[in-house]
Amino acid sequence: MIRILRPGLQTTVQAGPRTGQRHLGVPASGAADPLSLALANRLVGNAVFAPALETTLTGVSLRFERDCFVAVTGARSKARLNGERVKLHRTLAVAKGDEIEVGSAKAGARNYLAFAGGIAVDEVLGSASTYLPAGFGGFQGRALRAGDSLAVRTVSEAPEMSKTPKEFRPPAATSWALRACYGAEVDLLTKESRFDLFDTNFSVGNRADRMGLQLEGVRFGVGSGGRLASAPVFPGTIQCPEDGRPFLLSIDAQTIGGYPRVAQVARADRHVIGQLRPGDHVRLLWRDTDSAREELLAKHEYWREWLPGISAII
Amino acid sequence: MPAHDDSTVENSGVYSCGDDLIATECADTRSAQALADHLRASGDWLECVAGIASCVARFDVAAIGLDEAEQRMSSALRTVPAVSDAEAIVIEVPVCYGGDHGPDLDDVCELLGMDRDTFIRRHTGNEYTVEMLGFTPGFAFIGGFDEARDVPRRPQPRVRLEPGSVGIAGGRTGIYTLSGPGGWQIVGRTPLRLFAAEAEQPFRLRAGMRVRFVAIGAEEFAAGQAE
Repeated sequence: MIRILRPGLQTTVQAGPRTGQRHLGVPASGAADPLSLALANRLVGNAVFAPALETTLTGVSLRFERDCFVAVTGARSKARLNGERVKLHRTLAVAKGDEIEVGSAKAGARNYLAFAGGIAVDEVLGSASTYLPAGFGGFQGRALRAGDSLAVRTVSEAPEMSKTPKEFRPPAATSWALRACYGAEVDLLTKESRFDLFDTNFSVGNRADRMGLQLEGVRFGVGSGGRLASAPVFPGTIQCPEDGRPFLLSIDAQTIGGYPRVAQVARADRHVIGQLRPGDHVRLLWRDTDSAREELLAKHEYWREWLPGISAII
Repeated sequence: MPAHDDSTVENSGVYSCGDDLIATECADTRSAQALADHLRASGDWLECVAGIASCVARFDVAAIGLDEAEQRMSSALRTVPAVSDAEAIVIEVPVCYGGDHGPDLDDVCELLGMDRDTFIRRHTGNEYTVEMLGFTPGFAFIGGFDEARDVPRRPQPRVRLEPGSVGIAGGRTGIYTLSGPGGWQIVGRTPLRLFAAEAEQPFRLRAGMRVRFVAIGAEEFAAGQAE
């Protein structure tokens, strides 16, 4: 069992995405940064998508009510075990009564805390992940509160004590590049705005959550007349409403949208969206679909050494 | 459709809208649904989603390239069965119109130049088709209320709607399944629970089903909710 002492801004139980149900209106949900979730689970000997905690900006603190193994990955934050600094990206053995605290993120938005055995929560619609807008999945379909007590599954064998090799620790930054392809309605942008799309140093607006993020820095000229037929959207879709302010959809994004889809972040970089925070700088790098695929395969090849199941993660 | 996109297949109407997304325009929502169902049945795709007049499929681009995805989509377009009305299930959806349950009913009536009773008679006097579920889990887009074709969404979405809220926009009726924000003009509310995540059958409505609205009073609404 673990008990939440300080829940932080928004801490939820997240696991793998829900797939194959967007036609019913069911979004992906799951870890906003699935790579960091997998890295945390790897360190405690879990399956890569075992249910774990996802924090938002301000971390979390909790107490262990039995001996356990834990690992923290994700945003650049300080972690303390009973007040003593401990490192991210390694297996930590903890005893009953120990308290771990993850502080505010200095760069990046989300930390992941995985526990050997995984958090014991039921699957709803094919995943244990919390989907907050509809209040299902995870722990009672909601963000955690102080005093919540979560069960952790027991393991028959202690995990190997390990640390993530340096070359497999994704750097948390304040300035990011996302590879992206054209979206279905990119032609509704003016010629100048089409150019700006891949030549603007965007900043992430204050409207930034698991549904999506406002991109600021330029007002696009867009000519849809507000009468576009609603069409499928996905995590990574960049929509541009009539007001010309682009919006990048994240993991909890709705399934259908009525605004021009001007770009689509390539699969290889979608996991990065989960670490963007207000004030961060973002640039879009144009890719044709063939290059995007080659780069995805290269990324998989790179990661396979540490995460053999990488192609199911990103 | 991005004419300059290098990956667009000439003449086939199939185009990419992302490195792992392939799309095609469809004549209407029913044919888009039929195509999405047909694609889903093949098991070749991660997601098959219909829009109002298009269909997008997401494929595992680590496993197959865009060329292969285009071929599969083109082949599906040739083999998709014609849409038919046969065996459509008709579901009655009770609606308590107006008052607290339908705060925009008077505005909509004014836009349409009819009184409340006329509106309710017209809205309940037809059978409609569930065109698609989408936006949020179970939200139903129900087409066929052509008289309200010119009713726009609200200029400012309401911050919080109750589950079961029945809205009108652009000739469609939409039913919200969750509490949350929404921009449709709310004319009433149904006590039916159309989405229940933990239920064995979480979705009461499915694309292609036929719907008939039935007017109920506030007491019936309260009784229906208690069920």
